[in-house]
Amino acid sequence: MGITGGITGGSYRPLDRDQIEQIHAATLHVLENTGVEMNNPEALDILESAGARVDRETNRVYLPKQLVEKSIGSAPSEVLLAGREEKNDLLLSGRRVHLGTGGTALNVLDLDNVRRPSTLDDCRNTARLVDALDNIHFFVLPVYPNELPKEEVDVNRFYSAIQNTTKHIMGGVYTVEGIRRVIRIAEKIAGGPEKLRKRPFISMITCIMSPLKFDATYTELMLEVARQGIPLATPPCPLAGATGPVTLAGTLVQQNAEALAGIVLTQQVNPGTPVLYSAVPTTVDIRSMDFLFGCVELGLMNAAISQVAQYYNLPIYSTSGVSDSKVPDVQSGYEKATTAMLCALAGSNYVHDCAGLIERGMTVSYAQYVIDNEINGMVMRAVRGIEINTDTLAVEIINRVGPGGNYMAEDHTLKYMRSEFFFPQVADRQSYHRWKEQGARDGWQRATELAKKILATHKPVPVPEEIERELAVEFPELRI
Amino acid sequence: MALLSELKEMVIYGNMAGIEEKTKECLKQGLQPSQLISEALIPAMDTVGEKYKNGEIFVPEMLVAAKSMQLSMGILKPLIAAGDLKTAGTVLIGTVQGDLHDIGKNLVAMMLEGAGFQVVDLGTDVAPEVFVDKVREINPDILGMSALLTTTVPQMGVVVEALKKAGLRENVKVVVGGAAVTPEYAIQIGADGYCPDATGAVDWARQVVQK
Repeated sequence: MGITGGITGGSYRPLDRDQIEQIHAATLHVLENTGVEMNNPEALDILESAGARVDRETNRVYLPKQLVEKSIGSAPSEVLLAGREEKNDLLLSGRRVHLGTGGTALNVLDLDNVRRPSTLDDCRNTARLVDALDNIHFFVLPVYPNELPKEEVDVNRFYSAIQNTTKHIMGGVYTVEGIRRVIRIAEKIAGGPEKLRKRPFISMITCIMSPLKFDATYTELMLEVARQGIPLATPPCPLAGATGPVTLAGTLVQQNAEALAGIVLTQQVNPGTPVLYSAVPTTVDIRSMDFLFGCVELGLMNAAISQVAQYYNLPIYSTSGVSDSKVPDVQSGYEKATTAMLCALAGSNYVHDCAGLIERGMTVSYAQYVIDNEINGMVMRAVRGIEINTDTLAVEIINRVGPGGNYMAEDHTLKYMRSEFFFPQVADRQSYHRWKEQGARDGWQRATELAKKILATHKPVPVPEEIERELAVEFPELRI
Repeated sequence: MALLSELKEMVIYGNMAGIEEKTKECLKQGLQPSQLISEALIPAMDTVGEKYKNGEIFVPEMLVAAKSMQLSMGILKPLIAAGDLKTAGTVLIGTVQGDLHDIGKNLVAMMLEGAGFQVVDLGTDVAPEVFVDKVREINPDILGMSALLTTTVPQMGVVVEALKKAGLRENVKVVVGGAAVTPEYAIQIGADGYCPDATGAVDWARQVVQK
């Protein structure tokens, strides 16, 4: 029983208004005085003509306050990420919460508990699994098809997902030609270029390098997606203590500068293009410099940066619900639940990496998707909060039942019992005796069986046959 | 027959407001009380049990169904000569001395009634001699005892011993349950069975009376 996305959160506010404004002021200072490195001549030209100061020798571009504020103003405050079926549409705005997958992992931990390099089949199967899991609201392409040549990766990654889920599909991209061909495929399925822009069921991710650097390749891809008017995330990934200041506040300032630089560039390329304020702030283990994805500080910073995006009235792509554990175990459970809960309660719009990923994002586990579907369901229940009105306060019923009675068979109980509670599928809530009788299986084993069952039975809504036939002709590299 | 299936549906969906009226209507149309029980009420509760096991309905829905059935039975029972009232069996049930917890015990009692058993409920804090006297008086097929507290569980063994002393142990099947009770303990005190929950209790009781 799923709790759909789009419920309004925001009860958790780690920052107050004054602190947000301090972060904003510090960020403007960094953008104007430190600037960002932009290793793309075209981007430098665009920003220079928009009023930025550019140093061609160092590729440094300094962004003045007015340009930053103008760009924040032209970026949409509401972005529709459509599903191929309307029931899966996500409207990102305000404090509406959606949780979904992330990538890009290079390995899978499969249902026989074998860790191996991911393939195109895993692209298909993870999409099909997620299509059936109600508390995973969107599908960020989670794995890389290791067996394919690079120039065939973009189209096949996206198309394998399109074939297997009608949820919104977002993915990292690798070549300009790939971007164009993916968009062309999506246009054919949507019924034309305009229809795709109106109901974009695909979107793309092009990264910014922390600290404060736009590399040549990603920036070229970023410009292409922005020009095409397809929804775009431009995530930086500052690591507090390594590629960001050790203080969480400092990393938030740098994260904010990087995210706003992405907004500025894409808005100057194509004003009004649907870009998401993008955030992947995390930390290293300062004892060893190991990259971390399951630390509590990740949840805390992503909650805080969601408040900053809300201050700008920009929809946010954020990060939580991921783990450093190598298997779906106790560690993956508490790391995912802690960070997902913090970020979602802050009202974050598009929490990615929030299903399937283990091992610091290097591996996805099929069983973990089923477990995370359950964690997400609990998180969304918490986001929904407590409904208070005369009927829910139940004074009359309390009076009728009286001391020593019970509420088990009251009409009031029957009326609310299916909506008040979240019903898990993986958790075992039975007595010890029953649990033992049924094989004494742990959560991981139960999730594995559920995942196997879904993959054996779930049939997603297919791409219409005649369109698929045309695509096969136009895109011979597609592995249909 | 439309009326019978309407009555059956009212039990399945726990229509407590309408079931008495419907029962009377059935009688007015000339249907026999025993027929209403065997062809509507009991099959309805079987369906409810199935739905519960499949996860389609929850305990509150099952309880409301059982209560609806009881309302109907309240009208039908007086119309049937005592000897003709067919029940699945008789169960004497209670929470042992020193223990005041009764939600689980009540649940078991209602589920058993829903499955067609005649249940005599002694309530909570029941002394061993009260159990023994009542077994002698009504000669039930099954004696069910419940305890939630670890401190009161040993009372179950006391009751079994008292039954032996009174020469009644062989006349009745003894079953125990409750949060603090284990299958091992049931064996240790010489009970005939242990049930972890209410549906388990119904399954166990059915098996015992069939033997």
